[in-house]
Formats: sequence, structure tokens, C-alpha cells
Amino acid sequence: MSLLGFTLAAFVILTAVATALLRDTLAVIILFAAYSLGMALLYTLLLAPDVGITEAAIGAGVTTILLLVTITKTTRPGAEEIFSAVNWPAATVSAGLAAVLLSVVGAIPAGNFLGGTTPVTGAAGTPGEGVTGHYLAASYAETGVHNTVTAVLASYRGFDTFGEAVVVFAAGVAVVVVLHRGDFV
Amino acid sequence: MTALSAPGGGSLALSALDGVATVPLALSALSTRYAYATFALLFAIGLYMMIASPNLVKKVIGLNLFQSAIFLFFVSMAYVRGGAVPAIPSEGGAVGAYASPLPQVIVLTAIVVGVSLTAVALALIVRLYTEYGTLNEETIREVMDE
Repeated sequence: MSLLGFTLAAFVILTAVATALLRDTLAVIILFAAYSLGMALLYTLLLAPDVGITEAAIGAGVTTILLLVTITKTTRPGAEEIFSAVNWPAATVSAGLAAVLLSVVGAIPAGNFLGGTTPVTGAAGTPGEGVTGHYLAASYAETGVHNTVTAVLASYRGFDTFGEAVVVFAAGVAVVVVLHRGDFV
Repeated sequence: MTALSAPGGGSLALSALDGVATVPLALSALSTRYAYATFALLFAIGLYMMIASPNLVKKVIGLNLFQSAIFLFFVSMAYVRGGAVPAIPSEGGAVGAYASPLPQVIVLTAIVVGVSLTAVALALIVRLYTEYGTLNEETIREVMDE
């Protein structure tokens, strides 16, 4: 677990740094697709295969296609320089944020922050125990769905998912309106 | 951890993480919380790209990187050491430790909303290019000020 996790974490950090520093937008987009694939594997390793599959399909797939279509319709900075110059004020701000976040990482309870043990085996005393434990214990009996993530997404939070579909529809309308230069308004 | 009866790969994560108790404290804190450390670094890199890149497409890529770092934070919070994927077997019900499904559901919703946001941002970028002929933030600002 930990060796694979470290490897994937190092991979996503390296691809992210290269994404930030390279100048050619096409290279950045390809690296970002590789980064998304690494993130999908990391999510899967952290017991979230549903998130991993969605990230692989949407982050590495749809987002990459959208970015490639955008640079074919517009322009990309030429390849006369491989790296873009480092913006030191921005780098200082970002490094400060990273330092603040890293200094509080040690205070986070490792391994079981929100996760739940089902009431069958007794409480483990984590903050999310009651709520998570309820869904884990009752979701199959109440919805008949084996995957608790699917049960919560489609049954308990069905209206929330409907709102998500409305957001996607609104985004599609916005793209059509913006690209057709007001023919529809 | 009392995860011995967790189905489906529950014992997979157990041995590797519990074996690090003997190494120095800071190193062991990093080894059990490496996902949080990764989150902090990716978050900062995404912020840097959004501030520093003059190219608008790279700014949008930085925004996506920033987002996926937050998703990693949520997924790390849901993780349970020695736990199982939150899929309940039908026979016998759920027994043992499972990752929390609730942050994972929020992240699923956020990924789809994020790609909608990216699509609108890229459409605006294409429109800006047809109006100004450049994707450089500084140049666009100079042309707008004239």
C-alpha cells in the first residue's frame, strides 16, 4: 500500500510541477492527462474506486479533449523556450500556503478521519461515525443497492444529482450562447 | 485496527502502514499522512499556475489541478486504514470497517460540476481569442485599456 501510494504521490507531484513550468500548452495538456490518470489510480488506492473511474473518464478524458479542441481553435505559445520563467512573487505566495498546510498535516487523525465501522462491530470513535455508520448499515436494506456510494448518490441525494444535471445543462447552454456570438439572445 | 473481518482487500492496507511504527516520528507522520502532504503540494502548485501563467488555457489547467487537490483531500478524509471499499455484500450485511461513502459522493458531484465549469471557461477563451487574437492575459488587458 504505502510503496505504491508513495510512487503515485511522487508521480502526480512531478507531473504537476512539470505542468506548471513547461511553456508549450500542448505538452502541458498531455502532462495534465497523465496527472489525471495518476490521480485516478491514487483515488482507487484510497478506497474510492467510483471517484477513480469518474476522474479517469472526465479528468483524463473529457477535460483533455476540451483543452485540445480549445488550442486547435486558438493558439499555443511557440516552442522556442522549453520552460517559462518562474514568477517569484506567485511562487512565494504558493510556497507559503504549502508551508502552512504542511505544518497542520500532522494534526489530522491519520487513517480514519471520517470513515465508519458499522454498528455490528461497535463504534470506533471517529467524528463521522454516527452518520457514516447509519448509511453503511441501512443503505442496502433501504435502497437495495450494494454500492453505498451509488445508493447515496442516486437515492438519498437524488435531488442533488438532479441539480448537478441542471448545472451540466446550463453549462451546455452557456457554451452555445458564448460561441454563437449572441445568435440565440 | 479491528478490520480483520472486512471483506474485499481489507487486510491489504493493514500490514504496510502498521509496520512503520518504529521509524522516527516525523517520517512516520509523513508515511501515514502522505495523501494530505500531496494535497498541500498540489494545492500550492494549482494556485501558482492560476496566479503566474499569462496564458489563459494554462490558468484553466491550474484551476483543474487546484480542484483535484481538494478532491484528494476529501478522498483522504474518507479513507479508513485497513478498511474496505464501501460496497455492502448482500449476505450478512455490512460487517467491519469501510471507507466513508459520503465525501466520495460529494467528490463525484464536484468532478462533474468542475468539467462543466471548464467547458464554459474554455468557450469564453475561444471567444476572447476571436475578439482579441491572443490568449495572453497582459496583452488582452492592454488592448482593453486603449
